Amino acid sequence: MTPLQIGLFGVLGLLGVGCYGLLITRNLIKVVIILQVLVKAVVLALVLAGQAGRQPGLGQSLAATVIVADTMVAVVGLALAVQIRRRFGTVDVSAISTLRG
Amino acid sequence: MAQTLIFLTIGLPWLGALAAWLTRNEQERAQHTLAVGFSVAAGFAALALIPFSGSGVVLRLPIGGLFGDMTFVADGLGVFLAAVATVVGSLAVIFSVSYMHGDPQLGRYYSLVLLFIGGMVGLVLTNNMLFLFFFWEITALCSYALISYYNDDPKAVSAGIEALVMTQVGGVGLLGGALVVFALFGSYEIDAFLQNAAKLGPNPLAWMAFGFLIAAAAKSAQFPFQTWLPDAMEAPTPVSALIHAATMVNAGVYLLARFYPAFAPVPGWKTAVIAVGAISALMTACMALVASDLKRALAYSTVSQLGYMVYAVGTGGIFASQFHLFSHAVFKALLFLAAGTVIHAVGTRDMFKMGALGAKMPFVRNVFVIGALSLAGLPILNGFWSKESVLEAGLTGGPVWALAMMLVGAGLTACYTFRMVWLVFYGEARSRLHAHDATASMRVSLSLLAVGTLFSWHLAGPFGRLLETTLPFHKVHALGTAQMMVEVLLAPLTWGALVIIGLGLCAWWWRDRLTFLTDGFGWLGAAASQSFGFEWLNQQVVCATQSVAQALRVTQPGHLSWNVAGIIGGLVAVLIILTWG
Repeated sequence: MTPLQIGLFGVLGLLGVGCYGLLITRNLIKVVIILQVLVKAVVLALVLAGQAGRQPGLGQSLAATVIVADTMVAVVGLALAVQIRRRFGTVDVSAISTLRG
Repeated sequence: MAQTLIFLTIGLPWLGALAAWLTRNEQERAQHTLAVGFSVAAGFAALALIPFSGSGVVLRLPIGGLFGDMTFVADGLGVFLAAVATVVGSLAVIFSVSYMHGDPQLGRYYSLVLLFIGGMVGLVLTNNMLFLFFFWEITALCSYALISYYNDDPKAVSAGIEALVMTQVGGVGLLGGALVVFALFGSYEIDAFLQNAAKLGPNPLAWMAFGFLIAAAAKSAQFPFQTWLPDAMEAPTPVSALIHAATMVNAGVYLLARFYPAFAPVPGWKTAVIAVGAISALMTACMALVASDLKRALAYSTVSQLGYMVYAVGTGGIFASQFHLFSHAVFKALLFLAAGTVIHAVGTRDMFKMGALGAKMPFVRNVFVIGALSLAGLPILNGFWSKESVLEAGLTGGPVWALAMMLVGAGLTACYTFRMVWLVFYGEARSRLHAHDATASMRVSLSLLAVGTLFSWHLAGPFGRLLETTLPFHKVHALGTAQMMVEVLLAPLTWGALVIIGLGLCAWWWRDRLTFLTDGFGWLGAAASQSFGFEWLNQQVVCATQSVAQALRVTQPGHLSWNVAGIIGGLVAVLIILTWG
């Protein structure tokens, strides 16, 4: 197996874990953590794409950008989780369904 | 120089919009000054651009590969419409100084008005179809926001949404056309498209031609989209003047005129354009005849006159349509602003509550009568020359049935115009209204427009030559002003039309003796006051949409896991299609 293939399996594995986690998790804090796992899959994919496209610098700089943006997502997500806990008294996402049509 | 002027014509209104937005609403005076200053400066920039007009790209801004270059041309058609938009627009802004005096949210008002003017200038000057679409949507957005300006009034809000939805329907056609052109030519340039339109093949070209016709009909409030414009009367009156005379509705006629050389060979397209114009002109003239709201009657007359322009494009009379657009912009702005003065003074829009206002507001009466005579098409005002040019174009290039409809429409126009003048300014006072004459800033706008209505037809010759020399694909044959006068005055059609217009005037004058006629056509009047069922049709469409949306609510359970499952499922479906499709 080439390093690229190993990396691709890693990406798919992280994506699979992330999607499965999103489907079964009810705790909002865990959702934020699972989102981090998903974003890590993307970061890995970016680095790999840079390698495969013979532009490692581009891939790595995009990965660094994603890490920065993703940190903000995590922070905002956790802040929202705190607000939701205060307003609804729970962090169980199945209990929060005000968007129901 | 031309590049700088194009920059200024688009940029000055937008800078003004920004400045008015950033000025605090407490500084009302500063907001008025900024808005008037920037809009008048833009008007002068547009006028200064006229001597520099020519064919070909003037300004090219490379903005990356995806959208093509942002190019601007300064040909006769675009420069002329830019001048109309900025000059009439600036007069509407000057008028607003007293009309909107004391409004708590002037910043929002002025910035939207100026954004609107700038968007319209961009729309007519750009040579890139994608940017044509962007500017098109900017004007749609501004019209929505300005129609719903009094956003605590549910009628205004629903009228704004109606305008937005209807013009969006057309916008989709425009975007589709732009994408077709890009897919087949690899460029969004309008000039290149006009040159090579025949290479597109008959099918895509026909799709584009009818798509653009729908876009233009929606924007110019032509049949079957005519309902949004009268409902848009909830807007402040200077905005109505702006929408009706300077911006917005002209865009549809502009679109048809701009792409006429490409679409004219499409079988059935010209007939469709003529039919849309003729039906709109006649139908809304009937509706204007029974309207009781002053602004609504004027709005119907706008749709009717736009029908004349669309009809002229269909018959190949590009010059006639643009000339009528020019005349209409001047006299309709005059009529709207004068009507705004009346409404401002008496506080009602119902014509049956007015009457005998002429004695109280002599200045407004005088300018309104000038505008009304021009709308009716009486010599020697600008509306006469342009309407006769349109009818002349119809005689040479259009079918007889359409010409007959337009002639009947001209008679009805005279009748409803006269009715309007009579109900508002003459007769006996039907209620005790305290009225005062126009203020200074209103008088400036009104008198400039009245002078324009009296004399603007002198520009027909130079304007025709401008179109002839700068539009390589349209094959416009220009006449000098004197030649045009001779041609119009010697044409038998002119005298026929004048007789019909005279009959229309007499029909109102002798309305008491013609009761058998009003009784006989009572069903028509009843249908016209119900807007021929189109309001009902709109209601049905809205109800159907709402019930479908209601039925689709079950697909929104509001659970995160289900939403994520939906997203992942969609992703998998896309991947499968991409792999095996």
